[in-house]
Amino acid sequence: MANAAVDREVVLETRALKKHFGGVLAVRDVDLTIPRGDLRAIIGPNGAGKTTLFNLITGDIRHDSGTIHFCGEEIGALPPDQVCRRGLGRTFQITSVFRRLTVLENVQTAILAHHGRHYNLFARAARLYREVALALLARVGLDGQAPKPSGVLSHGDQRRLELAIALASEPRLLMLDEPTAGMAPRERHALMALVASIAADTGLTVLFTEHDMDVVFAVSRRITVMHQGAVIADGAPRDIRLDPEVQRIYLGYTKAE
Amino acid sequence: MDVITNLFPWITNGPLIAVQVMSGLSVGMFLFLVSVGMSLIFGVTRIVNLAHGSFYMVSAYLMVTLVEWLPEGAAGFWIALVLAPIGVAILGGVIEVTLLRRIYHRDPMMQLILTFGLILIIGTLVLLVWGPDNKSVSRPEALAGAVRIFGQPFPSYYLLVLALAPVIAVGLWLIFYRTRWGMLVRAATVDREMLGALGVDVSLLYTEVFVFGSWLAGVGGALAAPTIAVALGMDADVLINAFVVVVIGGLGSFAGALISALLVGELQSFGILIFPAVSIVLLFAIMAIVLILRPWGLLGRPEE
Amino acid sequence: MTVETPAASIAIPRPLGAQRAALAWIVGLAVALALPFVVSTFFIVLLIEIAVIALFATAFNLLMGYGGMVSFGHAAYFALGAYAAALLAKKAGWPMLAALGAAPIVAAIGALVFGYFIVRLTHTYFAMLSLAFGQIVYTIIFKWTSLTGGDNGLLNVWPPEFLRSQTAYYYFTLVIVGLCFLALYAIVTSPFGYALKAIRENPRRARFIGVNVRRHQLYAFVLSGFFSGVAGGIFAFHNGSVFPDFAFFAKSFEPLVVVLLGGVQSFYGPVAGALGFKVLEWLISKWAPIYWPLFLGAIVIAVIIVLPQGFVGLLERRTWRTRPSIAK
Repeated sequence: MANAAVDREVVLETRALKKHFGGVLAVRDVDLTIPRGDLRAIIGPNGAGKTTLFNLITGDIRHDSGTIHFCGEEIGALPPDQVCRRGLGRTFQITSVFRRLTVLENVQTAILAHHGRHYNLFARAARLYREVALALLARVGLDGQAPKPSGVLSHGDQRRLELAIALASEPRLLMLDEPTAGMAPRERHALMALVASIAADTGLTVLFTEHDMDVVFAVSRRITVMHQGAVIADGAPRDIRLDPEVQRIYLGYTKAE
Repeated sequence: MDVITNLFPWITNGPLIAVQVMSGLSVGMFLFLVSVGMSLIFGVTRIVNLAHGSFYMVSAYLMVTLVEWLPEGAAGFWIALVLAPIGVAILGGVIEVTLLRRIYHRDPMMQLILTFGLILIIGTLVLLVWGPDNKSVSRPEALAGAVRIFGQPFPSYYLLVLALAPVIAVGLWLIFYRTRWGMLVRAATVDREMLGALGVDVSLLYTEVFVFGSWLAGVGGALAAPTIAVALGMDADVLINAFVVVVIGGLGSFAGALISALLVGELQSFGILIFPAVSIVLLFAIMAIVLILRPWGLLGRPEE
Repeated sequence: MTVETPAASIAIPRPLGAQRAALAWIVGLAVALALPFVVSTFFIVLLIEIAVIALFATAFNLLMGYGGMVSFGHAAYFALGAYAAALLAKKAGWPMLAALGAAPIVAAIGALVFGYFIVRLTHTYFAMLSLAFGQIVYTIIFKWTSLTGGDNGLLNVWPPEFLRSQTAYYYFTLVIVGLCFLALYAIVTSPFGYALKAIRENPRRARFIGVNVRRHQLYAFVLSGFFSGVAGGIFAFHNGSVFPDFAFFAKSFEPLVVVLLGGVQSFYGPVAGALGFKVLEWLISKWAPIYWPLFLGAIVIAVIIVLPQGFVGLLERRTWRTRPSIAK
């Protein structure tokens, strides 16, 4: 077990992660191991603790006990900006882009910060990393919208932009919190297919939460199921689908297509 | 030990300390009244009324005028004491209905700026009506002198304040915890939307809360008027002190306002003995420390 | 701490095309340089004061418009600059330029100390604490009579002979203020500025691109204090005297009004706002100076309720219409 944390093939590992909120145990004893190149979905009913788990990993909140290792390094005590610098990228459940900045500026700013140049008072930021930013935008299909303030984009496009922002930090692990929320089914598949394709191209590891089971089964390589703060199942999609415990929790979900 | 007694010769003077504590409590009461009003308004409407100090000041000035107009003697004083806060309450109501209602949905910064603007407007109006000179309110005969407490002189007027203090505190507690209205108010501080969904006229509640909060500031100002120089600039002084109190105690917390108001009152009272200028810096130092350790005050709730 | 946007549209100032901007600059500069030859001394004095408050307001807007932080006690840094300049010149005998150079540094130090506590807070507490700290500076200046002269202020703070005439000082002010504007513009269009705007838009997201939000805001606060100090220093020598009420909270209201009048979202908004503000002040002071604060408060309230984007905001912006989005 101790070796797993040092093994460079494991990108993220949590052990016995716990978090209380007042009297409620939001996350209990969560052991999670994400190997490199994984496309891991975390599913579970609302309130299962998925977003809390994300927030614990990214440093938005502090865990009560347990450990979090990212590429072998303990990150439990780090603030979010430090966690990001270690190579962890993230998108949020509620679309978080820089609304009044243009689409291009959104990505440029992310790249600038990634390279640590955001304290520079003298350069013309508009000229920096334009090509890189445009390339990234092209990859998510938004290069045509570069000069628009990001707040005017459609919901789906804002989600793509947020993906581009997260990718701008060149993460080793990308965490997507309900990336397809609020999208129509066809858009959802398109977005996740895009994510999968980017992951395949760049060797990126992806961890995402999702409610749409079609999407989950279409894209993920492994699925972790959470319920009331604990992990209750973990495995290949086909096994999860047949797991009686999972079926019991997702009442009425049982059938395959 | 000797060093201390040399620096603070009063420290072994029990009676003096007792008297200072009591006057600190009185000062604390004035602060409490202003702060709890501000805290209450914030708790329900999420607006920090920067003009709250101005309400305090207006009430003090109203006292000046009322005491002049009304017949001499205790009766006149008491009537003024009742009327002045009502005047302020009306002012508060007018402001809420005409201005604040339009900005509840706006950015908190805009709300703050607007109430900041009110400070200037009210301040100028006070100047126009009462002129730039300092005013004073004389205490009624019966309370004009001093009594001896443990051999130390103690202004009788403060006894009034100390006597009223528990009445006010208990009265407020009863209102908030034993009446239906108080329950609505407490519910509103926790979840406004829910309250609206339950059919309560939230907008009316806001007005009522603002009027009540203004009234409280008015009571504070009216009570304090005979103890201080009624002058322009008292709005700023009170406002800053109220800030310190609500920041330490936590915006939106009744108990917090009470505890920290008394604390600040005592600090001011003793601070004058030590070194007047120090008391201000000390206050701010405490406020800064509290904010670092507990960014929402001792008993406050995190902002959404 | 976001400064709001109207729900159905996003207005961002679109800068004039490069050529038109250059033209505007040249014309503006020519006018500014020629003015002393055409207008009376009174107006030159007014122009100097417009420049000072335009600088102060732009420094303030670095925090408000670009950083989304509304400081309610910013007069403190103006006053620190003014008093530092005055004290060094009068009591330490420093030459004016040296005193003027030290002024923003003192102001920046003040901003560093206060800002350290202030940036840890959100919205409301930020505003309250900044107001309180502003009053601290006022109280210290007021009470430390031996150093600052207390209520009487410091008098006879004059520039050297060659800058004594209003015209000379006017050009001097133009140069200094112009340089500061260049610097501020550079800051706002630099990577630092981009990150600051990102923090304004979405602090959580900014954190997750690797920005240390608190530190960044603190730096912005210090920069803002620095340039406010320059404005204070220039004003000290212009006015010939400094008084405690430079730090009074009502003075903190002035950059706020200027920025709101001119438009929060644009770089030049505060300049236009300063112009409008000083003209209004001049007019009201001629008529009935006692009404000025009332007028000030009323204007701001009116602007907030009726015209959220300010006047320049109206002219400069191009409005993008949005579709209602599901996520806010």
